[in-house]
Amino acid sequence: MNKWIVGAAAMAALWTGAANAQDVKIGVSGPFTGGSASMGVSMRDGVKLAVDEINKAGGVLGGKKIVLIERDDEAKNELGVQIAQELINKEQVSATVGFINTGVSLASQRFYQEAEIPVINNVSTGTLIAKQFLPPDHKANYIFRTSANDAIQSGMIAQEAITRQGFKKPAILADSTNYGQLGREDLTKALAAMDVKPVAVEKFNIGDTDMTAQVLKAKEAGADVILTYAIGPELAQIANAMAKLGWKVPMIGSWTLSMATFIDTAGANGDGAMMPQVFIQLPTTPKRKAFIEAYQAAYKVDRMPSPVSAAQGYDSIYLLAAAINQAKSAEGKKIREALENLQTKVEGIVTTYDKPFSATDHEAITANIPVFGLVKGGRVVPAHPEDLEGDTALRIKPKS
Amino acid sequence: MDILAQLVVSGITVGMIYAVIAFGYQLTFATSETLNFGQGEALMVGALVGLTTINFLIGLNLGTLSAYLLMLPVIMAFGLLQGSIVEFLGVRKAIAIKSEAGWIMATIAIGIIIKNLAENIWGRDALKFPSPLAEASLQIGPVRIQPMEIAIVVGALLLMLAVELFNRRSIYGKAVVATANDRDAAGLMGINTKSVITFSYALSSMAAAFAGVLVAPITLTGASMGAVLGLKAFAVAIIGGLSSGIGLIVGGLILGITENLTGYYISSGYKDVPGLVLLLLVLSLKPSGLFGKATIKKV
Amino acid sequence: MKKLFAILGLALLVLLPFFITSPYYLHLLITIAIFSIVVLGLDIVFGYTGEVSIGHSALFGIGAYTAGTLLFQFGIGFWPSLIAGPLVAAMFGALLALPALQVTGPYLAMVTLAFGTIVQILINEMDWLTNGPLGIKLNTPNFFDWRDYSSFLPFFDMSAKRMKEMQYYYVVAFFLIATIVVINRILASHLGRAFEALRDSPIASDCMGVSVYKHKVIAFVTSAAFAGLAGVLFAYSEQYIAPNNFAFDLSIQFLLAVTMGGRKSRLGPILGAAIVVFLPNLLADINLFRIIAALIAAVAVVAGIFVAIKQPENRRSIIVPVALCLAFFVFSLFLQKITDYKLTVFGLMILFVVYYLPDGIVGFLKQIVTQINPALVKGHAVIDAKGDDAHAWTKVAPATLTADGSLLDGRGILMQFGGLKALDTVDLKIKPGTIHGLIGPNGSGKSTMMNVLTGIYVPTGGEVTFDGRAMAGLKSPEIAARGIARTFQNVQLFDELTLIENVLVGLHHTYHATFFDVAASLPRARREEQAARIRAASILSFVGLDKLANEEARNLPYGKMRLLEIGRALALDPKLLLLDEPAAGLTAPDIKDLVGIIRKIRDHGITVILIEHHMDVVMSICDTVTVLDFGHKIAEGKPAEVQANPRVIEAYLGGSAVAA
Repeated sequence: MNKWIVGAAAMAALWTGAANAQDVKIGVSGPFTGGSASMGVSMRDGVKLAVDEINKAGGVLGGKKIVLIERDDEAKNELGVQIAQELINKEQVSATVGFINTGVSLASQRFYQEAEIPVINNVSTGTLIAKQFLPPDHKANYIFRTSANDAIQSGMIAQEAITRQGFKKPAILADSTNYGQLGREDLTKALAAMDVKPVAVEKFNIGDTDMTAQVLKAKEAGADVILTYAIGPELAQIANAMAKLGWKVPMIGSWTLSMATFIDTAGANGDGAMMPQVFIQLPTTPKRKAFIEAYQAAYKVDRMPSPVSAAQGYDSIYLLAAAINQAKSAEGKKIREALENLQTKVEGIVTTYDKPFSATDHEAITANIPVFGLVKGGRVVPAHPEDLEGDTALRIKPKS
Repeated sequence: MDILAQLVVSGITVGMIYAVIAFGYQLTFATSETLNFGQGEALMVGALVGLTTINFLIGLNLGTLSAYLLMLPVIMAFGLLQGSIVEFLGVRKAIAIKSEAGWIMATIAIGIIIKNLAENIWGRDALKFPSPLAEASLQIGPVRIQPMEIAIVVGALLLMLAVELFNRRSIYGKAVVATANDRDAAGLMGINTKSVITFSYALSSMAAAFAGVLVAPITLTGASMGAVLGLKAFAVAIIGGLSSGIGLIVGGLILGITENLTGYYISSGYKDVPGLVLLLLVLSLKPSGLFGKATIKKV
Repeated sequence: MKKLFAILGLALLVLLPFFITSPYYLHLLITIAIFSIVVLGLDIVFGYTGEVSIGHSALFGIGAYTAGTLLFQFGIGFWPSLIAGPLVAAMFGALLALPALQVTGPYLAMVTLAFGTIVQILINEMDWLTNGPLGIKLNTPNFFDWRDYSSFLPFFDMSAKRMKEMQYYYVVAFFLIATIVVINRILASHLGRAFEALRDSPIASDCMGVSVYKHKVIAFVTSAAFAGLAGVLFAYSEQYIAPNNFAFDLSIQFLLAVTMGGRKSRLGPILGAAIVVFLPNLLADINLFRIIAALIAAVAVVAGIFVAIKQPENRRSIIVPVALCLAFFVFSLFLQKITDYKLTVFGLMILFVVYYLPDGIVGFLKQIVTQINPALVKGHAVIDAKGDDAHAWTKVAPATLTADGSLLDGRGILMQFGGLKALDTVDLKIKPGTIHGLIGPNGSGKSTMMNVLTGIYVPTGGEVTFDGRAMAGLKSPEIAARGIARTFQNVQLFDELTLIENVLVGLHHTYHATFFDVAASLPRARREEQAARIRAASILSFVGLDKLANEEARNLPYGKMRLLEIGRALALDPKLLLLDEPAAGLTAPDIKDLVGIIRKIRDHGITVILIEHHMDVVMSICDTVTVLDFGHKIAEGKPAEVQANPRVIEAYLGGSAVAA
């Protein structure tokens, strides 16, 4: 009988490998190849920037280095699951940051929940994500988020289109993925709350090149504004199809309208599109200025491919580092407790995080933080410049 | 009525692109009963090479239109080369050992490799392709149409016509036709059927590359642009028949127009479904395709 | 030997979870087992019938979604979905295979590829049924709470989570074993022989009443059912399924698994599945990847040296793959960011496997073992049934004749290829119990007549009545079922089957056991197999090939191949036997045996049509002779009359000099 135990232990030791006790391992899971890679890579680059800074400044827990374990989930659910298991059981990470795609988040994070290892979703926006394991059904929720969820974004979109700009007949165009369809649902709900019913709801597949049918339908329904939930290339196709049909109404949509693939490929047709942004590549605070310069220097680009992803990735690491230091431990459970009761203020790119999480609220971003960005001449600029002037430049989550 | 006309016109444009890609399938299927499962990737890499070339030429202070026209021979030469490589690496050995699984998997594998390399060379994002013609659309009767869409239809027809003429008139083309009719007999007549097959692959990829730069100005270029188009062209090849040029054009138009009409009148989500239904129907009722000739087995 | 391996494998399967305590590896193990089920099923289509399916990920997804939907919409749990999943997947498989397999060539691959995409779209769209892009959550079932017994079994981790995983592992392992058993039984049955026969020679298969189309459909539907079963298991193992789980690249991975592991074996697909599941791990870590590339290069070099010494004639052909393996290792050293190029590596792997490892790892190992000791590798199951003369023949129902007493009556048969009339309104009447010679110079239309009579060609005009019924519109397998058997001018044996297996394919019509009888190995299936084996052995001894019963057909000398073809045709219990130049290429003593055999066949009441260029054979055994020339019938009658006919003499002298 003892032989079994010895054998099993030996096997386990062989497979898991001896972790370097000096390091704190943090997993990074995101798509670094394929259609959403620009967001994944920006997020990873932001994360790396933060880790380099922290390690140069002496690391965490009084001298331990943060080591990143990067894994490409290819935006595939099953690969996300496999990576989650690998990071938890083989690499034995203290925490994981990442996830671009809502589907991958939903599929993978329950493994972290089971293993009591905290996850910070720093890009994916599905509203359900941070609510999957709420107490009291679960002992504690290990899923956190530093991005603006779809409920916030769709609320803002509806607000902007209906209340602020006075449109009456919105049409919704969303892609058929998890992201687009969940967003469409939130958007319909937000409009319903204002007693507005979209005049057309159309969808399309990733890779579709001809949007004539969808745009025609919106046009025929008499839409005066197009609300979108999709990603870059297809958004550009919508803008181009509108131009082709000689029909121009404003486009207002989720934050993905700021993707370089939309701005570059839609060209002049994309000008005027508006979207909620937690971060616009502008040096409106000293911290943002430093971040933009560091990013440009490290990755040799002028315009960041996805500034929002990079900023949220960067911030997620600083939040985690603060929590690890406060917990004085790299143990998942303690990190989670520290995150839920963070004593130090963390000055991030998006905002200054002052007790961003509590036991029941795992969303660091609230509806007051994002502002509307506007595509203009190939860049995203603030749609309402007054939003980012003076005191309002840094928007902070209100105390509950 | 106006809407119907608009949808049909858009469908025709897309359908012609499908037809050109399917035309590439037909070229190789005729000579060797094989086809390139990475045809979509051939289109994609052709478009990306075209993008680099045209940007380079525009950098030399050429106008977009003249740069575009100068680029055409470059990408066609590139297509010829790329097709020959696919045949040499992926198909030749499979034909020698008569392994159907062999060439199917090999051409898929080469497609995967090309796509991955393209991702690393040109990045993973979709890129804008400079349009040689004005981008503003014209109002023709009830329909709005972009000049480039007209160019697609004309260009696609011209390309297919040119290749057909070449096959019928030139001595090399006749070797292609002879090989298509009976590979063994052509071999006995002293035709190097191996190089004819290589050549048909070269032509096939050339057609794909040409289709790529035709479609690129109205869509986007990028590593992932080929997969869907290659797949749709399969449906076209089966619906129209792998042995008929007219069949491909008709098949392309049928598929392009049905997609658009379904997208508008039924639901945009189900846009791609009638294509498969049509495909299965044609296979059940007339397996050789709407315009295909039934082949006779040799015992 | 095989038994030993099976027992070792079983023991390994049972004991593995005791050693693997990490849930990560246990989950990988479960995934490997599930993938193995798909890949084993795919092997039936890909390895045995030679068709390529790029839609197995969709069938797998349909299985998974059947489980998901049953639970999500109706609250129906694990066990019922284990039945529903394979059924629904099989249904979709039939929907695809029925039209796509009518045509040979790459159609199945093209259609399944399109199907895969459409299934993803449909699952995504039909959100009222499938919950659309949101996906469906399931929970791994907990079958039995062992924790109550923890006092008796103190040596394991008895946490609920671990128990659940262990139990699920065993459930999956059970289905893996069941899959292997069922597939083994099917492949050893008449169905399995049909799969192999139709790949070796589709035309001969059809003419033996084994419909190529029907059996390809059966193979595909079976394979789809296994994919469905695996899908259900996958859904409950992953606990979350979404449409994008089942994309095109998963199908490619399945295909790679079959090819890489080794087709036409049980071990190969399992090995392939393991590699494919571990692949993302291997391609995630650059150092691990380099180590593996180095190992592969080392194996290649050793194998290359081995081959170079043992088989100097193959030196040239081994250089390329060995060089490629070395180049791959060098490439791995230069590669900096593995994740960016992992698809290139994946593609290179497929290319390499397709061309330099076509029989997969298992095939490669077999080859090496054969080099060392050929006795260790058995190709075919040895069938040692004893036959006797009594069992070689069965009583065939008496034929229905036409008014003028013909067994077969062809009127005005016209066969036109383009402008050429290969047969120009030929009448042909065959009297029962006779040997009817069909002669004529080359190109006169004799073989065309054979092909028309057996349904390979559809005649342009005319009609044929056989055994009292019109044959218009019948396909080869139906004609064979009515009692017309044939041999081929260019021998069409099932090369990779043994002699007795070749004859057993001819006896396919004697089996009535269904797919399920075979899968469950019911007495009926076993009884029929036993009877067929005795008959096959008897037929082999009738044609004098009983000593070679377990040789592969391709190893036979030419003359014996022709005898085997006759034996295989006799197995069909024909009323009419068509022999197409049976004496071609035979030595004089062989021809003498052949003549004796043909006479005996006639004496057993089987009517024979004989095409032959050896005039002495024709003249000595034929009762009636018909002469064709340029598609026209120019003479008919008793051999002696025909021989004296001036038109016949002219045709032969004016034609080629083949006449003996």
